[in-house]
Amino acid sequence: MRAHVAEGSVLRLEQLTKRFGDRAALDKISFSVNSGEYVSLLGPSGSGKTVLLRAIAGFEAPEEGRVSIVGEDVTRKPPHLRGIGFVFQNFALFPHLSVFDNVAFGLRNGGDKRTESDTRRRTLEMLDLVGLNGLETRGVHQISGGQKQRVALARTLVIKPKLVLLDEPLGALDANLRMRMRVELRRIRERLGIPFLHVTGSESEALAMGDRLIVLDRGAISQFGPPGEVYEHPANPNVAKFLNCYNVFDGSVQGDAFVTNHGPIPLARRVASSTPAYAVRYDRLTTRADAGAGLSAAYIASEYLGSAIMHFFETPDGKVVELEHHLSNGPPDAYEAGRTYRLSWRPEDGIAFV
Amino acid sequence: MTATEIIVEAADATPPRSTRSVGAYLLIAPAIVWMTLFLVVPMAMIVYVSFWTQTTFKIEPKLTLDSWQTFFSSSTYISSLWTTVRIWLTVLAMTFLVGYPTALFVGLFVKNKTLQTTLLVLCVIPFWTSFLIRVLAWRPMLGKEGAINILLMKAGIIQQPIEALLFTDLSVVIGMTQIYVVFMVGPIAFMLGRIDPNILEAARDLGAGFWRILRKIIFPLSLPGVVVGAIFVSVMVLGEFATSAALSGRKVNLLGNIIVTQVGSLKWALASVVGVILTFIMGVVIAGLLRIVDLKKEL
Repeated sequence: MRAHVAEGSVLRLEQLTKRFGDRAALDKISFSVNSGEYVSLLGPSGSGKTVLLRAIAGFEAPEEGRVSIVGEDVTRKPPHLRGIGFVFQNFALFPHLSVFDNVAFGLRNGGDKRTESDTRRRTLEMLDLVGLNGLETRGVHQISGGQKQRVALARTLVIKPKLVLLDEPLGALDANLRMRMRVELRRIRERLGIPFLHVTGSESEALAMGDRLIVLDRGAISQFGPPGEVYEHPANPNVAKFLNCYNVFDGSVQGDAFVTNHGPIPLARRVASSTPAYAVRYDRLTTRADAGAGLSAAYIASEYLGSAIMHFFETPDGKVVELEHHLSNGPPDAYEAGRTYRLSWRPEDGIAFV
Repeated sequence: MTATEIIVEAADATPPRSTRSVGAYLLIAPAIVWMTLFLVVPMAMIVYVSFWTQTTFKIEPKLTLDSWQTFFSSSTYISSLWTTVRIWLTVLAMTFLVGYPTALFVGLFVKNKTLQTTLLVLCVIPFWTSFLIRVLAWRPMLGKEGAINILLMKAGIIQQPIEALLFTDLSVVIGMTQIYVVFMVGPIAFMLGRIDPNILEAARDLGAGFWRILRKIIFPLSLPGVVVGAIFVSVMVLGEFATSAALSGRKVNLLGNIIVTQVGSLKWALASVVGVILTFIMGVVIAGLLRIVDLKKEL
């Protein structure tokens, strides 16, 4: 068993399957996470990402397949014997305990006999690492959302897990705090060197955080690779949709062209896929010159994003097409509502899933 | 701890008083009138009457300490005071011992909400029949020729019927526990139902076993429910007289029984003395229980 485990892999899943009734919540999931790696897991709601995390932690029993931690099969082991830390979406702090007692809880759970002074030292060290010095005696209702997040993290990290699972850890924080905690999470992980598996529904969070990115769709892995690769080369139309930066058109290949309701588009890059579709990034579209491929659509509205501006167009059959204009490329064009424009892009910027 | 209290008090003080109109006070007026007429005035009256002068056939509003002296110099009354405290503590302990595991099962281990509600309704079913029937039904169960003795003798476990089952402290405790346990189960199950399951999973993930989770997480979080349940049970048991009358053969005399007897023989002054003492005990018990948790914070 140990032989075929990749060198340095901390977590390894083989053909993991979990069903609820007839529906497979997880369908033959296999992947591994290496030591010191930050892997983000992106999926829409209902894709099974939380179930997957709970199955790895041992809160859900899979019907088939295997979970291994550092080469040891833990599929049938209870959660606390797996050496996995779990950070819950709502933090799940113990409401009646102080910050200190929350963090020290795991250290006081029997196992190896530890003196109270040792517990105290390690707890304070961990509180220091996550930046909570001086808040030890506070109740967990008396601290802010970001501080609760840090307590949840410290409570998990203090027992020195081999792997940390985070279930949408930033979902309960406001936007500003979320950006700061992203940096914090990466800093803490780098200090400890423990691999993190971070589940999120936000594509920007997944791309920003992960050394590698898993895209989960309907209980199966759609793509697993470095963020840049997933972003530039989505493996199928659904991945392109989740990334929220691609216009995806239905249609089919006929000869040298991908034929959509909006007209034929010349083919350049082809990717094999079960469902045919054509994808082109929002920021590859232009109305200034004909770049080779394109379609006609009426202008609806624009949205200002700070560094860029998003223009929305609608084709005659009601498909909304988005065009992203980076403001570093000069001032945006002025469009007239209701007027039809030719949106075009270079054929090699488009991906044809065939 | 003190910081919490300050925050809680500050939060209480924030609603601006100016926005409260006369209309808001009208809402509470009927309740205040009702409580004043039928609770505050009668209670003041009982205290007052306890100092009246009682003669064999009549009672006069001439203030005296006679009835109070009668109560505290009589060994019968004093021992009834201790019996009341003893039965109350025993029933309280029994309702907790029976009720807590039941609540734990219903509130935590039954995941299906419908089944949970069904089980709680089952606990209430005995209340669909009258109080007296519920109490008296224990007689054919516990009696010398009752169901339990017959079963035990048929099974060959005992040769002679156990007579200690009925008309003793035991039968009173059994009867009261059965009647009042549901008031312990309800509040505890309610508090347990509010515990976020993720908290228990987090504790498990951090390596805590079942008993440690029960001791360190579940019990402290359910404590407000235990206190509310204990208040319900205490108030009802301390004021009891019917169960002890029906199941003890008048051997167990609680303060409630004394009041009934005294009122029956028109000894209003002494009945009032016992009433005041009983009310005082209840007040002390409730105040003591409320010191265990800050219900304002928990609920």
